[in-house]
Order: sequence, then C-alpha cells, then structure tokens
Amino acid sequence: MSRFRRPPPSPAARRLAAIEAPAAPLLRRSARLTAAAALLWPVQAGAIAWAISGWVEGGAPLSDTLACALVFLLAAVLRAALDHRAGALAFEGGDRVLAAERARLVEAESLRGEAAAGTDAPGQGASSAGAAAMAAQKLPMLVPYLARYRPAALRAVVGPVAILAAAAPISWAAALILLAAGPLIPVFMALIGVAAARASRRQLAEISDLNGLLMERLAALPDIRLLDARERMARDFAARSDGLRARTMAVLKVAFLSSTVLEFFSALGIAMAAVYVGFSLLGTLGFGAWGAPLTIFEGLFLLLLAPEFFQPLRDFAAAWHDRASALAVAEEIEAAEAAEPARILGRGAPAAPLPGPATIRLAGVVARGRALPDVEIAPGRSLAVTGPSGAGKSTLLAALAGLLPVERGRIEVAGRRLDAETADPWRARLAWIPQAPHFPDAPLRAVLDPRGTGDLTEALRAAEAEGVVAALPQGLDARLGETGAGVSGGEARRLMVARALASRADVLLADEPTADLDAATAAAVIRGLRRLAERGTTVIVATHDPALIAAMGAELRLAPRTAPEPAEAGG
Amino acid sequence: MRPLLHALRLLWRAERRALLVGLALSVCVLGMGAALLGLSGWFVTAAGAAGLAGAGIAFDVFRPGAGVRFFALGRTAARYGERLATHDATLRALSRLRIDLMRRQAAAPWEALMRLRGEAALTRITADVDALDGLYLRLALPLAAGALTLAGAFALLAWLVDLRVAALVCGGLALGGGLILRRAGRAAFAPSAAAEAGAQALRQGMIDLSRARRDLVVFGGMEAARVAAAAHDRASREALRAVDRVERRAGLRLTILAAALAAATLAAGGALAAQGAISPAVAALAVFAALALAETLGPLRRGAVELGRMRDAAARVMAAPEAPAETTAAAPAAPTAAAPAVPGDGAPASLRVEAVSLRRPGAARPALSDVSLTVAPGETVALVGPSGVGKSTLLALAAGVLAPDAGQVLWRGRPVGPIPEAELRAEIAFLPQRSALVAGTILENLALARDGLSEAEAWAALDAAALRATVEARGGLQSRLGEGGAGLSGGESRRLALARTLLRRPALLLLDEPTEGLDAPTARRVLAGLRAWLPEAAILLASHRGAEREAADRLHSLG
Repeated sequence: MSRFRRPPPSPAARRLAAIEAPAAPLLRRSARLTAAAALLWPVQAGAIAWAISGWVEGGAPLSDTLACALVFLLAAVLRAALDHRAGALAFEGGDRVLAAERARLVEAESLRGEAAAGTDAPGQGASSAGAAAMAAQKLPMLVPYLARYRPAALRAVVGPVAILAAAAPISWAAALILLAAGPLIPVFMALIGVAAARASRRQLAEISDLNGLLMERLAALPDIRLLDARERMARDFAARSDGLRARTMAVLKVAFLSSTVLEFFSALGIAMAAVYVGFSLLGTLGFGAWGAPLTIFEGLFLLLLAPEFFQPLRDFAAAWHDRASALAVAEEIEAAEAAEPARILGRGAPAAPLPGPATIRLAGVVARGRALPDVEIAPGRSLAVTGPSGAGKSTLLAALAGLLPVERGRIEVAGRRLDAETADPWRARLAWIPQAPHFPDAPLRAVLDPRGTGDLTEALRAAEAEGVVAALPQGLDARLGETGAGVSGGEARRLMVARALASRADVLLADEPTADLDAATAAAVIRGLRRLAERGTTVIVATHDPALIAAMGAELRLAPRTAPEPAEAGG
Repeated sequence: MRPLLHALRLLWRAERRALLVGLALSVCVLGMGAALLGLSGWFVTAAGAAGLAGAGIAFDVFRPGAGVRFFALGRTAARYGERLATHDATLRALSRLRIDLMRRQAAAPWEALMRLRGEAALTRITADVDALDGLYLRLALPLAAGALTLAGAFALLAWLVDLRVAALVCGGLALGGGLILRRAGRAAFAPSAAAEAGAQALRQGMIDLSRARRDLVVFGGMEAARVAAAAHDRASREALRAVDRVERRAGLRLTILAAALAAATLAAGGALAAQGAISPAVAALAVFAALALAETLGPLRRGAVELGRMRDAAARVMAAPEAPAETTAAAPAAPTAAAPAVPGDGAPASLRVEAVSLRRPGAARPALSDVSLTVAPGETVALVGPSGVGKSTLLALAAGVLAPDAGQVLWRGRPVGPIPEAELRAEIAFLPQRSALVAGTILENLALARDGLSEAEAWAALDAAALRATVEARGGLQSRLGEGGAGLSGGESRRLALARTLLRRPALLLLDEPTEGLDAPTARRVLAGLRAWLPEAAILLASHRGAEREAADRLHSLG
C-alpha cells in the first residue's frame, strides 16, 4: 500500500491520518477481511475451469460439474459475506470519525469568542455558513473515504499479488503478461491521482459555481419578477451554464484520458492472456508453461484470473476522488484550527446567578489589543459608552459579558473575578441587545423569553412592541427566520428591548440600539431602555446617538485607538 | 414516485440527445465487456478441444483473436466515450433542473419570494437540486443501460446457446436483481429521506448557533444549542447507518444472486454439453457471459438506496408552482412582448387606492387598514409614517404583487388583480427596499430590465440615477461586479438598482426608500434625475427622509 502513497506527507495528509486514528482498529479488522475475500477468487475460478475442462476432455460425470458449481457458489457466498462484514466495519469506522469531528466542530463553534476587532455581526456571515457547510456537507465526505477508498486501496495491493501468485506456478508467460502492466501501474496511479484530483476539483467547482449562480438568481427573484425578466434570466443562466460546461468538459477530456490508459492496458492484458492461452492450447505456441504443455483447465483458469488482476486497480482509480475530497476537508480543518480563535469564558450554559450587588470593576484591562479604561459601575447606573469607531466600544461590551478573554488586567463582577468559573453565573444576571438581531428558527415566544421566566405581555407593552407582535401572522408563535423577515429593522430592535425587559436582568448591555432608526422609532427604543433603568437595571450602551447619550445620564468616552504596550494580540 | 418521473420527463424533453448518447455508450461498455469474456471463454475452450483433437492447425484463430482484441479495445474506447458523454449529460441535466427550478420559484407568491433571500432557504433549495444530481447518472442511466444490455444478451444467448440458458441468465438477473433493488429502495426510502432531513436540520442548527452566538451565550442557551446540534447529528448518522446497512445487504444479495445464476448456468451448460445439444465451447461462452453480465446490476444499488432522498427532493422542487404556460412550452423561450399595446383604452395613467385593508393570516392586527389615496400622472406622492406602519405593504399592493383583503387598487380605472402579469409589469415598476444585483458586468445588470438595451440608453439611465461618474471611474459599462453586486457601496448598489428600474420606463413608479444610504445632495440629484427621466409618470414613494419629502408634490401620512 505504501507503494501508492505520496511519500512526503503534507500537513493535510498528516491531519487526515490524525482524523482517522479513532477508526484505525476497525479499519484494520476490515482490511483483514477484505484481503481474505480477495484470496477466494482463485478458488471460484478453479471450480469453473475444472468443470469446463471436464466437458471438453469428456468422460466426466455430470456430478463433477454439479460439485464444481457448488464449490463456486459456496466460495462466492463466503466472499460476499466477508466483503459485507468488512464494509460494515469500515462504515462503523467512518461513522465514528464523523461523530468525533462533528462533536469537535460544534464544541469549537459554540465556544468561539468574538472575532477580531471591528467585525460585528455582519462579518460573521461567512463563518456561520462555513461551519454549517462543514458539518452538513463536508465532514460526511470522510465516510466514503474510509468506507470505500481505504478497502479499495488495500485490495489494489493484495488482489493483484494473490492473482500473480496463483498464475505464476502454471505459466510464467501469462504471469509475465500481467506483470508487464504491473510495474507500470504505480506510474498510472500517479497519473490518475493527479488527473482525477484535477477532474474532481473541476467538477466540484462546476457544481459550486452553478449553485452560486443559482443562489444569486433565487435571491434576486423578487427583482426579476418586478422587471418581468424571467425569460431573460433563464436564457442568461442557460448561456452561462453552457459556458461553464464547455470549460469543464475540456478539462475532463484530458483528465479521463489517463484513466483510459489504465483501462487500455487492462484490456490489452486480458486480450493477450486470452490469445496466448488459446494459441498454447492449439499447440501453436510451445513456450510459457513449466515443462508440460498448458492443459485446458490451466488455460481457463488463467483466463479467469486475468480480469481479476486489473479489477482492484480500476476500483482503486474510481475511489481516488474520495481521497481527494477527504484531503480537502482535512486541509480546511487544519487551517481552521491553525487560526486558533479566542474562546469565550465559561460554556454559555444555564447557571445559578452570581450572588451580591452587580458592581462592575475594570482594572488595567487589555482586550483584543486595546487598553480599556479603569472604571467602576455601581448597580443601577446608566452609562453610555462613546468614542469613534474602533475605539473599543464593542470590545468593552463583549469583555463585560465574558465573550472574549482579556489579555491583561482584571474584570470584577459582583465582587468576583470574571473567569471561566464565574462567567456563566454572571451571565445569568445579564441581558443583551445586539446591533443586528438574528432570529433563529423558533417561535417568537421562545426567542423573546430564552430563560422562560418572563412576563412577555408586560414586557412587550413596556417596549412599545405589542403592535409589532399583533401584526404578525400567528403572533407570538410566528417564526421570523434568520434575518427577521416579517418585521422591519426598528420593530426587531423593539422586540429585543422587550426581551431585555422580560429577562429581569440586573445588567443590560446594548450595542448601538438606535443605529439606523428613524427618530420616532429611536425614541421608542430609548423610552424602553429608560423603563429598564427605572426598575434598577444597570444599563450600559455603546452608541453614537446624542439623544441616547443624553438619556443615559453618564458617559464613558473611549479614546481613539492608541497602541498599547505589545501584548500577545489574541486573534 | 410521480415527482421523480416528472423530473425525468423534464430532462428527457430538454436533453434527449445527450441522454441517449450516454445511454448508447453505456450499453456498449456493458455489452462489449460481456462479449469479451464470453468470446474469450469460447475461444479458449474451443482451442483446447481442437488441440485435443489434433485439429489445431485447421482451427481458425484469426477471427476469434481479432474479435477478442476488438472487444477489448472497443470497450476501452467506449468507456472513455461513456464517461465523457454521461458527464456532459449530467452537467446539462444539472443546469436544466436549476433553470426549471428558477422558473417555478419565480411564479411563487411575493412573500415566498422575499423569504428566498435568507441563506437557510437558499441552501435548502440548492441541497434539494443537489440531491437530484444523481437522478440520471445513478438511477435512470444504469437502469436503462442494464435493461437494454440484458435484453440484447438474451437475444444473443438464445441464438448462440439455448433459449432456456438465455432465460436463466438474463431473466434471473433482471427479475432477481429487480426484486432485490426494489426491496432495497423500499427499505432505504424512509432512512435516506431522514438522513437528508437530519443533515438539513444540522445545517440550520449550526447557522443558528453561529449567528446567534452572543445571544445564546448571554442568555445561557448555548448548552441547549449544542445538545440540539448533537441530536441532529445523531439522527442523521443513524439514518445513514440504516441506509448503509440496506445498501450492503443489497450488495450481498446481488453478489449471491449473480453467483447462483453463474453456478446454475455451469450446471445447465454441463448438462446440455453432456447431451450433445451444444458444444462445450458454447456452454463455456454462456458461463463466461453469465459472470460478466452481473456487472449490469452493480451500479444500481447506490441509486436504489438514494431513492427516498431523491423523491423527497423532487417532491419539494417540483411542488413549487408550475410555471405559466409561456415558459413550460417546449419551444425556445420567446421574448415576451416588450411593450404591449397600452391597456386601459387610453384611460389616464393614475393609481387609485380605495379603502384597502390587509391582515396577514393569523395576525391580531391588520398590516394596513382602510387606506385610500390617488396618484395622478406626473405627480409625486410620498408615504410617511413611523417604521412598521405599512408603507412597504402599500407599495406591494399597488404593484399588484400582494392582494388586499378589502378595498381595491385601481390602475387606469381597472382593478389590478385581473390584469395579466406581463401587462402589469410593462406599466408599473417597483423598487423594493432591498434589491439584488447579480455577478457580471454593469451592462448585464441593467439589461435585466429590457432586451436589446443599447449602451446609450444605459448611460442615460445611469445619468438619471446620478451614477455616471462612479461607473466611469470603475471602467465603464463592461466593468464587472462580484457575486450579489459586490464591489459597489450600499448607496451605489441602490442607485444601480434604481437605474435598472428606470429603464423599464414605467407609467407608475413605486419606490421604497429610494435614497437610503445616500447623502442629502446626492439624494436630491437622484430624485430630480428620476423625475426628469419620467416626466409623465405617477410616482409613489415610501420615505423617512427630508430630501424625499421635499421632492414630493404631496405627503400622505399612514398611521
């Protein structure tokens, strides 16, 4: 097998080896069964050859033929059963690997801290789609690699060797014919590897290009309808996909040639073996066997062995793209982990609230390479955090919620240090209003009352959002979908205020809650925040909005970014 | 199975030639494989018999030898051709399915179209068409090629060997194989659909988990999100395991079936040869052919176990509303008449909204109630009112993409509901709040508005939208935009979409916050430009900005 491996392992190949490690014992057992199955074909071939040679030579009773048929069938059943079991073990291995990799992905994704500075909610789009595609589409590609490619790779070694071992004692010439292709096969494999990788890349690219085109057109369908451009769009799509197809076919024409070379040699090998055996039996060729001339049994036996010499190699070539895909997945995993994103503090699990007054104290904190001011925020205070873009307003809010680790200094909450242990209990006392609300695929009722503790009717009234809910199909049972389709930006923000009110949190963190709103809606949001403050909640908002700053009473102005002393910048 | 047949019929009608070429070459590969092995078996056995009889010299070696070489090389060549032809056919099918899907989706109700903007909806649809990618290559092609090969082999074996042997081999493979595959398809039906559903649920769960990460962490919901993702993962893997079990069991049964038929052929051939009904060489031919014909069944098991997944996907894809007659016609799409005769018998091009109300299903409060207004030709009316009061909804009603529960919307004195879509679109243009651009040149984006758009017209529309300088700076009409129009700022995208809308030269222009994202001077230039472009048109715009209100002849306050 090592014969066919690229000798210097790339990082992706090393990663792939690490990924499949948990499946190794299963794969080894599967491999042994596969190898045993490969050894059974000579028995089957022998049974057929024996029966037919009996007919030609005459005199053999029919019971001989029946016995041969029985041997053939039993060997076939045994072989099929071994392959079946080997497949089950290999699938089991693949499943184990898939489960482990998905679990790691979910864990890493769920604990990922805030991204690098300046990327707020919009910047997360790419990564969330990436993680979803990795979990649902890419990781499953590891399964065919383990379940198909690995057994095929083993058979490609064991199969031909077993056939040669069976053929050589009968006729060195037949073995030689097979061997003539043999030494060339690693060369073909290398060629095929390169070409198949190119072919499968091109094909995957074609499908993803086509899907990219499709998604773009689907997203533009409202415009296309309004422009009465349906036919223009269909013609344009057809023209573009024709172009893509022509380019792809040009690549495939070359890529398929190399596997055709393998097919060609395998066909030639079989034909030459048949012709050699035929001529030997006729007595035209007198060489090749060891001493005595070839018998009919031996001739038929050789003929039946020849295709099976090449079959595993062809299977292997067909499974090659499984390895190419698995390597691509491994490469992506490797790259994602090399980036080492920051992690949140704690695990985001429900916890008993941290006891004590909700005082917040920052001392010498540096987060995401930014120095944050030393402040103490007493319970019930309202504070506007201001400053130019990039001054660290979002970083401060995220640090207070334990969404990113601080590189230096100390954040104290309710008299305790904010760390992995206290983060979940501290967050049990927090509420949060994001700048770009995301509505998961769940009923609004669950979205607005995530802890299941609040009085939604009262909260909606206080947030002036009753009307928003009333206009929705199914009211509180409506599912808004990811971008809040069905409510306007201002309505979504008021719903988020209602969520904060319902949560009865001691501290509210709000990121630009009035950005991009018309004056009337912004005023409603500000009134909602004021009501929250009147109940004794500490309200901390990051904002540019003068009206909101005025409503908060206190202002913490962050200085424009100055380079702090070099700290190991986290992400 | 009807949705699948429906999808197949669609492919068949559109790409018959490519599908047939792939099929013919596929049959060649299978047939030549069987012929190669059968002929070799016959040749070796006959040669052996001749050698034994001492008649080796008289034996015609030329023709069988040439036949073996012909089949061997022919099979190689056919295999190459088959791979190219089937890939070509598959790519054609991929594109065809996607075009059909778009046509169908385009006919969906307005609110469904707006939902398509979400990433989840988009990936769900693409996952569905992806599931159908195997329809030709893994299901229809091997099924047809296998059946044709077996039929041909039956005829040849009946002629060369014996009718009963031919029936045994080909009938056994077709019937036995058919039964096994049918059973596998049934057994894997539910799990393969469940595996796909599980994968989609996992994908959605991961999107929610990433997008709402901060919310989930702060409100302590991340643990539950992890648990939910793990549950989706488990469900999809368990379904996959069931599919794999069915597939491997089908493989086991098919192998045993093929071996049993080969063994039976061996016994039957032996008996016939012993009777002297056929020569041993001909009997050997039958045995070797039986071994080779087993290959006709192999590729089908993958397709059979994917049946459930494909059926579900096809049901969703094909369930989208049937496209209107003009688009389903097999004839190449005729460009719809660009400018139908002016309707309304010369009635003035004015919009009248009479006491309309709209309540979304299940909503406690109407989105609009009892709104009336008129917009005359050449007049600009601005809708004002706080966010959520129904400005966008009213525009959609006026455009005829939504229908009111009560009251009516009249265009040229006729209710918009019954006016044919093409006529409506020729007269009324609507720029919604979010509009989408596509990858391609600026000219291609503008040309979505109209066939045969000249560069001069395009520049004129860009002038009206105050975008000429930007486009010139980027390198003109042929400069390219990235996916979704990437490369332009928000305000520039907005103006390009506006220019595209203007190219429709409508009699009624509906604009939803047209100058969002523009600074005040630019906004004023744009508003002046569009009025100059369409001096006669009735313009209704939803606005929350000063510049838009200043440009209006009249304000109409909602709520």
